[in-house]
Amino acid sequence: MSDWIHRIVAPPALVIAVGAVPCYAATYLTAEQAQKICFPEATEFIVADVKLTSTQMKAIEKDSGVRVRLHTQKVWRAKAGDRFLGWIIQDEVLGKHEFINWTLALNADGSVKQIEILDYRETYGYEIRNDKWRAQFCGKQHGARLKLDDDIRNISGATLSCRHITDGVKRLLSFHELMLKH
Amino acid sequence: MTAFALIPICGTADEQLFGFVRGAETLPKGRNDLYEFITLRTGKAEGSYYGLDFETEVEHGFTEKFQASLSLEQHYFNNQGVDGDRDALDDQSAYRFGGVAASAKYGLLSPFKDWAGLAVRLETGYLWNDEVDGLEQHEVFIAPEIDLQKNFLDDTIIWDLDLGVEFAWGKQPAEQYPREMALQAATGVSWRFAPNWFVGVEANVRAEYPMFDFNNFEHVVIYGGPSLHYSAKRWWATFTWAPQIWGSGVDEPHDGKTYAEETSQKFRLKFGFNF
Repeated sequence: MSDWIHRIVAPPALVIAVGAVPCYAATYLTAEQAQKICFPEATEFIVADVKLTSTQMKAIEKDSGVRVRLHTQKVWRAKAGDRFLGWIIQDEVLGKHEFINWTLALNADGSVKQIEILDYRETYGYEIRNDKWRAQFCGKQHGARLKLDDDIRNISGATLSCRHITDGVKRLLSFHELMLKH
Repeated sequence: MTAFALIPICGTADEQLFGFVRGAETLPKGRNDLYEFITLRTGKAEGSYYGLDFETEVEHGFTEKFQASLSLEQHYFNNQGVDGDRDALDDQSAYRFGGVAASAKYGLLSPFKDWAGLAVRLETGYLWNDEVDGLEQHEVFIAPEIDLQKNFLDDTIIWDLDLGVEFAWGKQPAEQYPREMALQAATGVSWRFAPNWFVGVEANVRAEYPMFDFNNFEHVVIYGGPSLHYSAKRWWATFTWAPQIWGSGVDEPHDGKTYAEETSQKFRLKFGFNF
């Protein structure tokens, strides 16, 4: 190999050799595990998926101000015997490169009960799994402002993920208001 | 060394969707990037010309809004018969050490929270050999720049615009004049068409004025073409093909091209690693 090739390859090879330890994307929970964490007292989760028409999608977009990408929203009704506990909605939002799968649990009155991150494939931004960050959404209802650096604290270095989850909550609260409430 | 070895190298932060355009994002605090840019410049008015540039850059996020980098620049030239009215280069097949550079970038607005992302960037460096054919020089340059970034449709379409100026001293004997000013701008639009993949188009323009004098025009050139970007868990890569769209140089025929310091084609392959 020519001497000049050694000179060119050496600097990046040195840095890679020093810093290269692999990291991996993580799946934290399955949908079923998330359901049981959100509603531990539930005895059954009844499938109640909603297929959205383009008119309904536009209505949700107009109400929430957030783009609707999924034509079918996966939904479960959580029940303990005859008692209705609330809703579980499974969703995905865009990460910087891949999708972030998550679930939103709503109380029977439509307020946010809990958020669970199912998997996270991005390098930066996994801090959205932080309990305190997710707890900010608890009790939020349809019509809440839900804006970063306003009623929702941002996590530096995870801004895109924070914003997309925040927008996702806003969109699903509109989805509940328009599609599930009545 | 042990502590370094435990730092994970993975994914992307200040990743670059374009070959010749920069965005307004900055590295998170405490994170590092390693970049390798490989640029092939080829095609002169006559003969065969291949100029390969290798830029190795290490970048660190000092705060959530401020990052700085150090880089090494190296060249390999292979040119035969480039000797005509527009240029007169010696035949050679040679390695040349380009020089060193440092940059600092500060994010004023975030593309994810504000109406658009905005960053100011300053680069300075010392170059021992010029990038046209590796002639000896002792160039010091300083290049302030503004980077604007606007994201659309949930951050799946990204538009970047860079505006800057470069002041360089010590370009002799590689060039005729001891100092030179260059106005430069670059823009591009990229679309995330599938998870991990972006495709885009970009263009950049550079106009050079020796002696820092706008009445002393040397040449202007516009390059433009497609870019393809892929991001994996531990690294990202961007490939750009940028042919010369239009150019004009003093003392060159007015045929819409300039070759004295430029080429008909540029190809750039970038790799980025986070650690």
